Amino acid sequence: MRSIKIFLLLGLLSFAGCKSRTDNHQKKMAIVVSTLNNPWFVFLAQTAAAQAKTLGYESKIFDSQNNTAVEADNFDNAISSGYSAILFNPTDANGSVANVLKAKKAGIPVFCMDREVNSPDAATSQILSDSYSGCVDLGKYFVKSTHAKGNYVEILGIVADNNTWARSKGFHSVVDYYPGLKMVAQQSADFDRNKGMEVMESILQAHPDITAGFCGNDAMAMGAYQALAAAGKAHNVKVLGFDGAGDAIQGIKEGKILATAMQFPKVMAQTAANYADAYFRGKRDFPKKIQVGVEMVTADNIDDYIAYGKKDKQ
Amino acid sequence: MMKKIVKYTLALIVVVFIAYNSVYFRKLSDVKAAAAKTFNPESFAKTYLTKKLLPASAHAPDADVLIGQLKTNPVKAFKTDAHSLDIGNTRFFMVKGQGTITNIDESDVYIITPGKQNLKIATEYIFGNALRDAPGIIGVNDFTNSMDLNNVSAEINKLVRNEVLPPFKSKVKKGDSVAFAGAFELNQEHINLNNIEIIPVTLIIK
Repeated sequence: MRSIKIFLLLGLLSFAGCKSRTDNHQKKMAIVVSTLNNPWFVFLAQTAAAQAKTLGYESKIFDSQNNTAVEADNFDNAISSGYSAILFNPTDANGSVANVLKAKKAGIPVFCMDREVNSPDAATSQILSDSYSGCVDLGKYFVKSTHAKGNYVEILGIVADNNTWARSKGFHSVVDYYPGLKMVAQQSADFDRNKGMEVMESILQAHPDITAGFCGNDAMAMGAYQALAAAGKAHNVKVLGFDGAGDAIQGIKEGKILATAMQFPKVMAQTAANYADAYFRGKRDFPKKIQVGVEMVTADNIDDYIAYGKKDKQ
Repeated sequence: MMKKIVKYTLALIVVVFIAYNSVYFRKLSDVKAAAAKTFNPESFAKTYLTKKLLPASAHAPDADVLIGQLKTNPVKAFKTDAHSLDIGNTRFFMVKGQGTITNIDESDVYIITPGKQNLKIATEYIFGNALRDAPGIIGVNDFTNSMDLNNVSAEINKLVRNEVLPPFKSKVKKGDSVAFAGAFELNQEHINLNNIEIIPVTLIIK
């Protein structure tokens, strides 16, 4: 009789163990990204999904189409569909705060990737690129490459995004010390390649004498390069980007792009998914903010890099 | 009739009192100024420089010892002496030492240390986070806004550019013996000890 009791007790305990494991693995992660119209964000979202799968979770990618209203719908869907965590790439530093707070109110942790929301307490943790420092390095390289002389243009990203200004301010924190470098135009192209091309086309009409262009991401840099090539000025104008996208890495190899700053989307996406997993397992003391280092890529060190990261050491 | 007037007067007084105390008017410029006062990177940088960075530089490892360690046991050197606020490969070291000026150009002064190590000390491009991050005192989460953190670096660098460099640059010449303290960055995955550039916080011609 006693052995039957022990057997039953062990059976119950083993079921209890199974339940807790099953509970965790029934959880799902929603991956809400600002846009899937840019390969960099596609890579970020897919890496987060792959890491969620490796950890044993289902996930779904939601595209906010650079629109906070669509983003709000995505959050509503994620909350009502029973997702247990949101890996989030915000559309708007201020406009996205309400969505994060909505998830927080519903008891769903939010882990921001790459882009910041302007609230110290809304997100569970924010894993961000150190855009400012990356652009300080680009600014130094820009000054040295241009010998601190010439007219240049700046093409900005989405004006409501903190990364846009972190990059711009990092760049200007260096370049503005050199009066020989004159910014003749500064316009937004929303981090979009086609808009980057259109903005550069229109700038060239008014300022055909520019010698350099600093672009807030690689997509706009490639668009700007297209416009310069079409105008026959590609060899006279130095173009700088930011991100480390595949076509920019290839562009540096081919001499089309002077430099970019390599972000590490894989590190950010995997860290966000790992944090969500740790949250499910009971961890609560996450750092509010983590910065991921950015590395400058030029013709001098291009062989160390591939799209979206570093080559693995042999 | 009189009772009614008193009643309405009292009611009016109550309404006016509530309305007056419910709405406040403040000048937008005052509100903006109050918001701007929340963090002052310039004064933070001044306090950090004198109370944290200079004392930390006094305890920094000697350049010959540190670079020797980086050659023989880089893993240990990065673990014990390097700091960074970021996840990644870029790390910052505090360093101090002395040497003889071998060359001067528009961006740097070049020195040779007693241990025959060739180093350069930046005199033009004073940018980046080396002086902010190398002592390992400041944390990302000490600041609610990333731009405040970035502005701290910019202000520390400005102090060096405006206060440390001018008296040094106006007098330094080849052959001078100098004592220095500062910080430099290294990529721990691609260690290049031949191109170390120190951002100075102390520069003294002996």
